[in-house]
Amino acid sequence: MSNFPDLRLTGYQRKDGRWGFRNQILLMPLHSALVALARKVCDDLNQDSIVTISHDWNGEIDKDWTRIERALTGFPANPNIYTTIFLGLGNSHEEKLISKSLEIGIDNYEYLKLSELGSAHKLLIEASALASKYFDLAKNVSRTPAPWSAIHLGLECGGSDALSGITANPALGVASDELVRLGAVSVLGETTEILGAEHLLAARAISPEVGKAIIEMVARYERSVNYEGIDMRGAQPSRGNIEGGLTTLEEKSLGAAKKAGSAAFTGALDYAIAAKQPGLYMMDTPGHDIEQLSGFAAAGINICVFTSGRGTPTGNAVVPTIKVSTNTPMFKSIPDLIDLNAGSIADGTELLSDVGVRIFKEIIDVANGKLTKAEIGRHQEFALSRMYKTEIV
Amino acid sequence: MKIKGFDHGSRGLGIRDLQLILPSVVCSTHVAKKIADQAKAITFAHNTGCGIIGNDVGGISDFFADMANHPNINSVVIVGLGCETIQGNELADKLLTKNPSTRYLVIQESGGMGSTLKSGVDAANKLRSDYPTKSIEIDKLLVGLDNPNNSGSVQIISALKSIPGIKVMEETGANSSENFTNLMRQGVALIISLPAEDQPTNGYPLIPVINIASNSALHQAILMDFDLNFDATANEIQNLIESVANGSPTKAESLHIGEVVAPRMVRSV
Repeated sequence: MSNFPDLRLTGYQRKDGRWGFRNQILLMPLHSALVALARKVCDDLNQDSIVTISHDWNGEIDKDWTRIERALTGFPANPNIYTTIFLGLGNSHEEKLISKSLEIGIDNYEYLKLSELGSAHKLLIEASALASKYFDLAKNVSRTPAPWSAIHLGLECGGSDALSGITANPALGVASDELVRLGAVSVLGETTEILGAEHLLAARAISPEVGKAIIEMVARYERSVNYEGIDMRGAQPSRGNIEGGLTTLEEKSLGAAKKAGSAAFTGALDYAIAAKQPGLYMMDTPGHDIEQLSGFAAAGINICVFTSGRGTPTGNAVVPTIKVSTNTPMFKSIPDLIDLNAGSIADGTELLSDVGVRIFKEIIDVANGKLTKAEIGRHQEFALSRMYKTEIV
Repeated sequence: MKIKGFDHGSRGLGIRDLQLILPSVVCSTHVAKKIADQAKAITFAHNTGCGIIGNDVGGISDFFADMANHPNINSVVIVGLGCETIQGNELADKLLTKNPSTRYLVIQESGGMGSTLKSGVDAANKLRSDYPTKSIEIDKLLVGLDNPNNSGSVQIISALKSIPGIKVMEETGANSSENFTNLMRQGVALIISLPAEDQPTNGYPLIPVINIASNSALHQAILMDFDLNFDATANEIQNLIESVANGSPTKAESLHIGEVVAPRMVRSV
């Protein structure tokens, strides 16, 4: 692939050696009652890089704890973060969460405790002062040349249509293959959306163990839904997919898998677990776009490409997310939400390989600091991924 | 009890005159927040509406309908994405059969973020002029009691239950946020919360929540965030309920705190 441009990558190297492409100040609420306060601080300070997340966790340690803990400790340790300001009540659970997060890696952190400050009002004032202080400090940090292994790319698709598997997904696969060849990490997710295509991915595994893990990942997911007496196969393709022209589960899965190009699979990852070596990985995530992207972010993924046929506004507080349309009409109809158009392949005006190069170039530009549409629109959706039911009548 | 309330037609009689911007999927929660901020309406973030399966499809849709049909709500703008499992137009149709003050818009057909924001604010303003505030005097109040693990002060609870003119619905689950959602579904106009000793004050977007402190170290350390302390008398509780019902904001309302827990049976797909 000699038509890939010779580009330079820059970023921020963290104390633990990982690389980030943003220098975010994250206000991390450790209780759902503090979410609105963190949001108010961000709204008042009004900066692209001062961010927070919404969640409904209120300290409960239930059957989903391992999974929730991974998200709540991994997310604030994403390498795109310069400083994490934890907002908590002040208790031993929170201290444990923070120390786990520090083990994963955080350059700067602060911990504000409601019980010490005495009121929500005081917490707002302190959080705002700290966020401003670190925002000013972050401005003085310069980017330095980064190796290709700095990239941890997330591959995502949502609102797929009949063109997903023909245009945007295989074009993203071209870019992913090139990055993997150069030594980056690339991660495919959406276990539920490779159902029926898992044997093809497993055949590309570097070892029989990895292949087996990919097959088992899909089977395990299906079992975990089946225990409720529900057939997951009945939910795919979704209603939105069908309206977009997808006909069968196999068609959707084959198309979704194209995002991972043709590289060999180096490993299979559990939800929100980071890849330790360069290569292509399969992570066990729901197809639910936001649970997937939140899991990616908690696993240290620092840039994401999100293909869509129907169109989506979503992004992430700490991971820049490049949106690619599968068809030209959608790209034109919601111009402030989509970064690139791969519909040109179906229009016959551009080659698949050329769109792949364009996506590759955009990944590097965004890594080097170009803001995505989702960042400009401040899309910072977040979701905790739970397995068990809520206690609501 | 004498309360200046609001007649919300088939939704019932409420103590707040709220407009709800209802995102039918997680993907539209951000634009819903922007619309709500500009239109001075309320909204809530959630992580559902799509990637759901089985009974959750009907269950989540019913939950959204219960939010939209709550007696404290005057009008509703549903904001959908377009390709989600819970189809906003079907939800709108379901709501419209009971409440004409419902509008629906969809991001994928509205030209993107900026234009959805504009259409949303326009729709909210139009609804407000089409369905103006209708005041009405109320003499009875349905009050929710959040009593996690049945650990609330016996004195406070018996004082509350002795107040004339109120009917108390009680939830004793361990998680106050889940109790709030259960109480919302029973149509309570106001909630008295007795948070567990290790929990802070909390709120709910559609319903004023009065937080009463226990004598725990955490509660006493953040007493400023509570509306009443553990030694509140029946008279004090009654006076505060009357004043909140007549429009004084609770501490939680002033801070706009309170994330919503949506009911879910099966994991996302």
